[in-house]
Amino acid sequence: MQISSEEMAGGITRVALDGRMDIAGAAVVDLKMNLIAGSAKKLLIDLAKVDFLGSMGLRSIVIPARAVNSRGGKVVLFAPNEMVESVLKTAGIDTLIPVRHDLDAAIAVLG
Amino acid sequence: MTGPNPSPPEPRLTLKSQLEDLTLVWPWVEALGRQYSVPADTQFAIQLCLEEALSNIVRHGYGAQPSYPITVECAASGVAELVFTVEDHAPPFDPFAAAPPPAPTSIQELQPGGQGIRLMQKFATRLEYQHLTHGNRLTLAFAIPPTSNP
Repeated sequence: MQISSEEMAGGITRVALDGRMDIAGAAVVDLKMNLIAGSAKKLLIDLAKVDFLGSMGLRSIVIPARAVNSRGGKVVLFAPNEMVESVLKTAGIDTLIPVRHDLDAAIAVLG
Repeated sequence: MTGPNPSPPEPRLTLKSQLEDLTLVWPWVEALGRQYSVPADTQFAIQLCLEEALSNIVRHGYGAQPSYPITVECAASGVAELVFTVEDHAPPFDPFAAAPPPAPTSIQELQPGGQGIRLMQKFATRLEYQHLTHGNRLTLAFAIPPTSNP
């Protein structure tokens, strides 16, 4: 599991996750995710390269998203694959944190 | 990703009640997936449900006390489904007795980890709970499309 981040135009922080968000993967990304969420105002979580999302991985998304939201910031989930999106939908996440497959649409959510 | 494994996986996996041991499940399910030609989406569903079931046992059933046994057994039921049986010696707990928590209505209401039962009900084909004399048995079945099992 890998995690990288970059600052985009418009004050957007893009966090790209790469790998399996299972128990081991969640443990790898948790600290950095929480550090980023501690300061980001507009957070784009790029899930394009996440090939598995379990409930421990969901925690690694929900907790930082809640932190950003509690400071008045915005979060968007970008480009999950079909199964990962199905997990997000089943858990009811997609109705609370927007999911977008087009980068411009994702950026518009954060605008 | 690992390459082809010439020897079939053991049908039974024994774990200790610690989250680290759950990392043993992924390669085991991958090997079973190769043996039974399980499609990628079904393997995803199996990994998801086993992670949820096993982490519940570790964290709640055994109260995060390590070194208690958990066994996972896999059997092919005919050619139509793979059946996983998870047994522990934890106090009785039927995860399906209570209705799943209501879907959250705001990000602040989101309870991390609170949606596990809903995920298992969505991604497993069949779920059964049985109270044993000294523990619990959870059965999780996953349909395998006929095309993958000629």
